[in-house]
Amino acid sequence: MPEIRVTPLGAGQDVGRSCILVSIAGKNVMLDCGMHMGFNDDRRFPDFSYITRNGRLTDFLDCVIISHFHLDHCGALPYFSEMVGYDGPIYMTHPTQAICPILLEDYRKIAVDKKGEANFFTSQMIKDCMKKVVAVHLHQTVQVDDELEIKAYYAGHVLGAAMFQIKVGSESVVYTGDYNMTPDRHLGAAWIDKCRPNLLITESTYATTIRDSKRCRERDFLKKVHEAVERGGKVLIPVFALGRAQELCILLETFWERMNLKAPIYFSTGLTEKANHYYKLFITWTNQKIRKTFVQRNMFEFKHIKAFDRAFADNPGPMVVFATPGMLHAGQSLQIFRKWAGNEKNMVIMPGYCVQGTVGHKILSGQRKLEMEGRQVLEVKMQVEYMSFSAHADAKGIMQLVGQAEPESVLLVHGEAKKMEFLKQKIEQEFRVNCYMPANGETVTLPTSPSIPVGISLGLLKREMAQGLLPDAKKPRLLHGTLIMKDSNFRLVSSEQALKELGLVEHQLRFTCRVHLHDPRKEQETAMRVYSHLKSMLKDHCVQHLPDGSVTVESILIQAAAHSEDPGTKVLLVSWTYQDEELGSYLTSLLKKGLPQAPS
Amino acid sequence: MDPECSQLLPALCAVLADPRQPMADDTCLEKLLDWFKTITEAGSSLLLLQENPCLVELLCHMLKPQDLSSRVLSFSLRLTGVFAAQEDCFQYLQGELLPRLFGEAGPLGGAAWTAPTVRSGWIQGLRSLARHPSALHFLADCGAVDTIFSLQGDSSLFVASAAGQLLVHILGLSMQGPADGPPSLQAGDWPACAKKIVGHIEESLRSTATPQITQALNVLTTTFGHCHDPWTRVLWVRLSPLVAGLLEKDPVPAAHSLVDLLLSVARSPGLSSSSCGLWETLAQTLSRLSPTQAGPLALGILKLQDCPQALRAQAFAVLLQPLACVLKATAQAPGASGVLDGTVGDFATVDTLLPSKAACVGLLCRTLAHLELLLPLPQRPCPWPQAPLLGAAVTLLQLCQGSASPTSDTGHHLCALLLGCVRVQRAALDFLGTLSQGTGPPELVTEVFAVLLEYLRSPDSSPTVLKKAFQATFRWLLSSPKTPGCWDLDPQALLFLRELLPVLQKRLCSPCWEVRDSGLEFLTQMTGRWGGQAGFRHALLASEVPKLTEQLLRDPESYVRASAVAATGQLSSQGLCISPASPEHPGGQQKSPLSELLHILSTDSEGFPRRAAMHVFTQWLRDSHADVVGDTEEFVAGVLQVASQDLDWEVRAQGLELALVFLEQTLGQPGSPCPYAVTPPVVAPACPLAQALQPLCRVRLFEFAFRALFDCDRPVAQKSCDLLLFLRAKMASSSSPQEARSSPDVASVEAALQRWQAGDQAQPLGDLEPEVVLAVLKSMDLEGLRGALAESSDHVEKSPQSLLQDMLATVGILGENEADCY
Repeated sequence: MPEIRVTPLGAGQDVGRSCILVSIAGKNVMLDCGMHMGFNDDRRFPDFSYITRNGRLTDFLDCVIISHFHLDHCGALPYFSEMVGYDGPIYMTHPTQAICPILLEDYRKIAVDKKGEANFFTSQMIKDCMKKVVAVHLHQTVQVDDELEIKAYYAGHVLGAAMFQIKVGSESVVYTGDYNMTPDRHLGAAWIDKCRPNLLITESTYATTIRDSKRCRERDFLKKVHEAVERGGKVLIPVFALGRAQELCILLETFWERMNLKAPIYFSTGLTEKANHYYKLFITWTNQKIRKTFVQRNMFEFKHIKAFDRAFADNPGPMVVFATPGMLHAGQSLQIFRKWAGNEKNMVIMPGYCVQGTVGHKILSGQRKLEMEGRQVLEVKMQVEYMSFSAHADAKGIMQLVGQAEPESVLLVHGEAKKMEFLKQKIEQEFRVNCYMPANGETVTLPTSPSIPVGISLGLLKREMAQGLLPDAKKPRLLHGTLIMKDSNFRLVSSEQALKELGLVEHQLRFTCRVHLHDPRKEQETAMRVYSHLKSMLKDHCVQHLPDGSVTVESILIQAAAHSEDPGTKVLLVSWTYQDEELGSYLTSLLKKGLPQAPS
Repeated sequence: MDPECSQLLPALCAVLADPRQPMADDTCLEKLLDWFKTITEAGSSLLLLQENPCLVELLCHMLKPQDLSSRVLSFSLRLTGVFAAQEDCFQYLQGELLPRLFGEAGPLGGAAWTAPTVRSGWIQGLRSLARHPSALHFLADCGAVDTIFSLQGDSSLFVASAAGQLLVHILGLSMQGPADGPPSLQAGDWPACAKKIVGHIEESLRSTATPQITQALNVLTTTFGHCHDPWTRVLWVRLSPLVAGLLEKDPVPAAHSLVDLLLSVARSPGLSSSSCGLWETLAQTLSRLSPTQAGPLALGILKLQDCPQALRAQAFAVLLQPLACVLKATAQAPGASGVLDGTVGDFATVDTLLPSKAACVGLLCRTLAHLELLLPLPQRPCPWPQAPLLGAAVTLLQLCQGSASPTSDTGHHLCALLLGCVRVQRAALDFLGTLSQGTGPPELVTEVFAVLLEYLRSPDSSPTVLKKAFQATFRWLLSSPKTPGCWDLDPQALLFLRELLPVLQKRLCSPCWEVRDSGLEFLTQMTGRWGGQAGFRHALLASEVPKLTEQLLRDPESYVRASAVAATGQLSSQGLCISPASPEHPGGQQKSPLSELLHILSTDSEGFPRRAAMHVFTQWLRDSHADVVGDTEEFVAGVLQVASQDLDWEVRAQGLELALVFLEQTLGQPGSPCPYAVTPPVVAPACPLAQALQPLCRVRLFEFAFRALFDCDRPVAQKSCDLLLFLRAKMASSSSPQEARSSPDVASVEAALQRWQAGDQAQPLGDLEPEVVLAVLKSMDLEGLRGALAESSDHVEKSPQSLLQDMLATVGILGENEADCY
């Protein structure tokens, strides 16, 4: 029985590190290869030993697909390809291929530089890994091999994020990665055609949330920044190099322009140029407004946002600084935070999630006295705000996507179990499809009924047409023929053609039956009586009495013989071909009831 | 446990026991458990529980019927196991807690059991506690072993795998008990627990259900892989007939697991030499399995140190068979293929081995990978069929490229299957590269170079294939010298090089950055190896390659620019760069490589090219490159000035590496592999230390090093610290009396350093005198700094106390951000 099997190694009922194995029609695909920011040891990576036990990775896996550049989706990739030993193809979109190494380098920097980890992947490994990448365009069908094909769809979320359709023959799976169903200031909304996959694997971060309007959140954010700057405070916004940072920059740039504000806005040096470069390069991946206005004015060339120098942090007066990394766990953002934390006029706005073990996590959980190195205590007097600008589809968006793709089944990943449970019920009720939510390591198996293409011979079709009925998609009808399986192909041909092609001789199959009649007359007379009876009963059929005494009705032959032991009984031998099975059965039952009394 | 943590623990236990308080971060409980493991490994668990009664209260709380979080329940099961690993603590908990947590009355029978994390916690808890005989009795009494049997078939891979591991562990533990030698074959004298497990394995091996057989085989594989005690031999003698019985079935069930088991047994020192028919079973398995299934077994057999020659021959034949088929099918003239004479031949075999495209590609890739692994091993078969294998690799590459001209129908069929197949191309190129370790007949080597050139030329070659083709080419060029000890390229290789360079030239202009990059890496390798050889130099200079390399310094892709920098560095070291004053550039407009690379170091927006430039400069300084020796001080001063301002820590760290090389050269100490080791002064500088430091002061090395001590990036500070410690060790070894212990200059430098340490790096030091440097160096606590730098940057946030505080702080504030992510 053909089936699709899905096993999450990560993202099964959690939002840690996405890594989902899909087996479809004998092909094995790994969807995303992420890492968990919350661990500092091997647990940060998915446990690949469950794949390596199947033999060599490159033989087992047909390809790896990366949905977007966030580390929880691609952070384990160099480890997987250069240290665990996968040497096969890796697919991602062009922007993801360009931006991935930057994020991986940043991550490596923190692991090696800040935490002093040895045995970590090197820059050379990141490069070698990226050289194995096959970059794909949106809506381009890419043949991984003769049978397996993939196709990318726009997912919003971050620059270059894509949903992927994986197809083998008539079976298909769609994996959404992270997506956003509402356009934002620089990206468009996710979109997929009505591809009716056997299975839709969708993220479910906001499975139970209907997010408030984006405008409200933006207004709130701007208001807070504005108030802090107005009172002479400094605002720190810790961000990751690429992604939400650009969204917030556009927001502030527009606001500064409109309000004619003078306080300086800075961005960690180096990143602005990098971001600019990539947004210019991949302008087709941004939203319509940015694309349209790009010719007159590049939205990513900011008038008010300047490169930051570490000496600026001590400058008097208000300012806004975007600094990396986003969880205040190292580097420039942490340095600035330490400088500014003691002043209640200042503010830090955390625009995204922070894992435990980071300063970001501490201040978001309300801790205000932080122990620093050397048992020093840093008192956080600055205002701490959390405003999520992560761009995931909310419950409504997820339902919308399910409606768009019309899958046969849905599987939820990248979310919390309790919330998934709620969404699962909702999906099952509304769309009448099965919805699954496996935990990490659990396998969901879906039986599929593959449609097998069959070629029909022209001769057979012509014969059907000759009967006067034109083909009509709305009125399917039965077509008889012989199915030939040859050279891995199926063909339906007429039986004559089949015999010819296969070099076979036609045999005729006849069914026979004996009916005993109580009739003391001679055989010829009995046969005559049978003929008369049938002639009267079967007016629409051709009933004949042949010279040799036998009676025929269509292909059915009836002969009367004497009974060997009982001279008062006659035996009727009835035989017919399988084509006249119905008539043959009818006649037999008729004769078994006996003949009408002959007039004396 | 420190008092701060002890104080926080009751509150945390209360939070964990409260089902209304979800944990914000799924890593917290894992980290908490790590911490408890560390504590219990270092001290008494019993004492820990007695001093912190809240822990037992938490565990008891898990027994109450309530809506518990499955994660907390799983954590508690694991934690209980960690505590009960010590026998006295086990006794302490045994009364009520352990049976109710791990027995039928516990989560096992409740709704929580449906969560895989709870089942996993249950297994891991038992895995931890099963360390002593009392635990064994407990396992037997609470019926845990039967539950573990059923969990082997769990829907979760993690649970099923952990259940198998636990069975192995329990079996091992129970067999440790009997002290008077290994048990007999009869089950009568086996410990009860072991008897039960072995009985279950036997039953599973007799089963007709493949999953059960697989489970049993996996348990045995792990057992024989991890434990080499005498009892394992008895176990194998007892079970081997059942294992051999699997080979009678058609098809052989759980072939993959069976191969693993047989290899595990064969590798086990006590088992392989036993007379329980292992070699016969292996031989039988080789012949019973399909070529794809038998491949890993054949490789495993050939890796064994001591196994019968006949079996090795059979295994090697299995590995070679697919390639023999290929050779046979594509042979121009009928006759032996040379790989496996006489064993393969008829087309029926070819059809069986390589039936469809997917099967054919899979089998060939596996075969090539297995042979590639085998080739470098000392125990590889001897004689090694180098020539036929080379022929097979070349043929495969030709088939994939469509350049083979098979005469038979099977050959045409193979050609159709493999044409354009990137997977086989990659595997064959890797294999071909590895084969360069041996030699081959000249005509075959010519064919190798021809096929490599064909791949490098072909517009159809994918970037990954091209990269592998470049790598294989380099390896074959390396192996080409005929005279031992002479590494020059032979005339044939030089002829090949003349054809290769135009191809490389073309590849350096590829629109695909991966290809340009691989081309440059190849060029760097070649120049490093043969840059000094006249033939190579002549061919290279006659080509456009050096010019293109120079152009690629301005490539839009930073990886390519970095590789171009490395290539330029190598070319320049060998005098192969286009000279600024060459006849082709009479105007002298061309920049020198040094100024080109300096320009990259100061202006490139990406880190990779700048890092590459620093590597080149350091190498040039080490090798006394012509452009450097002219005015070394100016060169070092220029590079350090730019590097010290760089935003990338690796560039700054590399700057310190260059400074160290300069330091060693200036002070007359030849570069030692461990410059920081305290060694007796072998070569004392000719002049007093202070005088020797003059050039270092002139290049402003000390300002860079002192500033780097307080660099926000730890490796930079560490490197600087090491450099200054090295200098101080030199200072101690030289009896230089000149010091300016308390001059105003010293005070101002020390004040500046304090400001830098406080984060104010604005103030420059100005010109430093060697005496001032020496005095400052002496007064600094460099050892203390090095100790502080050895700590991870997040050691405070990673501490147990911080973890407990974080977990407590999260209580009640979980809002919108609880399931957020990036």
